[in-house]
Amino acid sequence: MYPGDHGNHEQELDALFQAYRKACPDREPGVNFMPGVWQRIEAQQRNTFSFLRMEQLFVTAAAAATLALGVYLYLPQNSSARAGAYQQNYLEALADANSVETPDIVGPLRLDLSQDSNQPGR
Amino acid sequence: MLVDFELIARAQRGDAAAFNEIVSVYRKRIMGTITRLIARTEDVEDVAQEVFVRLYFSLDQLRTPKVFEPWLYRLTVNAAYDYLRKQRRRHEFRMSDLSEQQVMLADAAAGGKADHEEQQQKRIREAVDSMLGAVSEADRILLMLKEVEGLSLKELEKIYKVNENALKVRLFRARQRVLKAFGANVQRQAG
Repeated sequence: MYPGDHGNHEQELDALFQAYRKACPDREPGVNFMPGVWQRIEAQQRNTFSFLRMEQLFVTAAAAATLALGVYLYLPQNSSARAGAYQQNYLEALADANSVETPDIVGPLRLDLSQDSNQPGR
Repeated sequence: MLVDFELIARAQRGDAAAFNEIVSVYRKRIMGTITRLIARTEDVEDVAQEVFVRLYFSLDQLRTPKVFEPWLYRLTVNAAYDYLRKQRRRHEFRMSDLSEQQVMLADAAAGGKADHEEQQQKRIREAVDSMLGAVSEADRILLMLKEVEGLSLKELEKIYKVNENALKVRLFRARQRVLKAFGANVQRQAG
């Protein structure tokens, strides 16, 4: 479609826009306009404020949790009650718990040589 | 410029009285512009309030008071654009719920209350509103600012921060689409 096709309507459209301008004149707002603006501003400020407060609470809670975890991790190493338990490494602790004499680990190997287990296909 | 730079600077520093004065100076003009941009008188005040709330919270971003008016227009355009986008979605939903007969009855009832001149103005608003349905919300606003508000390309360039030639091309295309819709409407009425 070319602009020329609309040639007849160009002026009519301009006239319609002018009529539209007159149909929508500038008008004064109602008496509640300004209080309404301030109400919205204050509501938005309250929302921002409560968000900031929540953010502060979250940061404080996270800091407290970090501190508590730090204390928890630090204390056992200095506690005399638990000190012995952590002075061995893993292999030493394992060896203590399962000494060489323990039959479950290094006991004689038992083989089941019954007839059923030697039959093919089982 | 309807207000002096000092008043804007005071409002930027958080002076509520200065902000109130700016609102009282510009509110009539902004309300008029919004009326023409959205074509729905019942929601104009709501959108205008939104413009001034946005102005309040963005005043500190205004680097120089010299560009205050294009800045305010920009906020107005954005608020109208957001409204039109929401309204188009809501309108589609609302109209799909009503039968054609219900819509005609509602129109007739509304028309009966208004006097003749108001009816005439309402018809013009509705005609332009429906014709502008042929273009996007962004193009509708651009076209309104140029054709109805009478802003120059230079002023539009400041508001949109876009090259003048790009604006010309966009305006031309939008106008062609509206002309096509207008022609189709005229033919439908004639036929």
